[in-house]
Amino acid sequence: MAHPSQLGFQDAASPLMEELLHFHDHALMIVILISTMVLYIIVAMVTAQLTDKLVLDSQEIEVIWTVLPAIILILIALPSLRILYLMDEINDPHLTIKALGHQWYWSYEYTDYQDLGFDSYMIPTQDLTPGQFRLLEADHRMVIPVESPIRVLISAEDVLHSWAVPSLGVKVDAVPGRLNQATFIVSRPGVFYGQCSEICGANHSFMPVVVEAVPLDHFENWSSLMIEDA
Amino acid sequence: MKSGVNESLSLFTCFQMLHLTAGRVGSLLARRATAAFSTSSARMASHDVAETTDMSKPLYWDRVDIPLPDRPYKDTLTTGDQSLKKKEQGPWSQLSKEEKVALYRLMFSQTFPEIKQRSAEWKSVLGGIFILIGFTGLIVWWQKAYVYPPAPRTFDADWQAKQYKRMLDMRVNPIEGFAAKWDYEKGQWK
Repeated sequence: MAHPSQLGFQDAASPLMEELLHFHDHALMIVILISTMVLYIIVAMVTAQLTDKLVLDSQEIEVIWTVLPAIILILIALPSLRILYLMDEINDPHLTIKALGHQWYWSYEYTDYQDLGFDSYMIPTQDLTPGQFRLLEADHRMVIPVESPIRVLISAEDVLHSWAVPSLGVKVDAVPGRLNQATFIVSRPGVFYGQCSEICGANHSFMPVVVEAVPLDHFENWSSLMIEDA
Repeated sequence: MKSGVNESLSLFTCFQMLHLTAGRVGSLLARRATAAFSTSSARMASHDVAETTDMSKPLYWDRVDIPLPDRPYKDTLTTGDQSLKKKEQGPWSQLSKEEKVALYRLMFSQTFPEIKQRSAEWKSVLGGIFILIGFTGLIVWWQKAYVYPPAPRTFDADWQAKQYKRMLDMRVNPIEGFAAKWDYEKGQWK
């Protein structure tokens, strides 16, 4: 989750998010360099005391400032496309979970081995215990084993929703009548928060996504307990 | 027979012209090459271009980059000015300092330092900006005092402290972010 007044990205919890962080650093550095250069040129032009009255055009600089931006764009596009194709690589998931968006909660179904399904509602502010995070906590978290490739099939039961977890680098639209697939690996154990990312009605801001990554034996214990409770 | 002579004569002149034309073609190609790189509109015309005549009236201006305008500042001279102008025709060492200044003021409206002089407009601009920022601050305070509902209980200092403790226990952003800045061994911020 983000700490108060945080501006930048959260730390990556999946390899894909790490790639996205590095790409963002690369693209932002280019943006900052270009902006600094442009700002310097503007200030230099505005504060210049002398005027060159005889400059009409210049073929050389026109070539430079056409070719150089094309090169810069290629330098941005290549890493971007690399990550795009990385996202679609076959990764042989160990577990498939269905995440279904409703108005206004998520439901998760683990049907690989047995029938496990449960709803995940936000804990209302008045029901929080001191120290819990307002608008982020849910009564049942989506628990997954750490360091295992996970496939999440995302859909919706009524209107559009979007299943997003920023620290895992995942945001996938939940479209009624359609299955969208997201795959990821969580690199470290922890609890990762996200919020519904497609406007879906009055309580759109109040249906968070909470993913808890635990060691495999903990996951097995949890799923057994959940099936017993159901 | 006559036609035959004519033919051979015309052939001969053709060869001559060919010899001359080769040289002409060379220079014509060279001129075309430079014309291709030139952006002058007159060159691009394939017909005679009418002569342009500037029918505008002479202007006066005070500019640092084009220092000498089309006409002097004072066009119509009084008799005193005219006599001063006549005196200007003679040796300048005989002109007094005031006369030289008067002659300058006849020719130009402002001196270079007067042209470059900056105005005091920045004071009004900055003052206006500060006034508007202050007014905005007033509106923000009024909103906080009279419009917004009370903050949720999660904003209490005690709750925030418990939240931070829980975030550290959960190792939130342990690589470069929140928990990375806490020294777990010493129990304090790094």
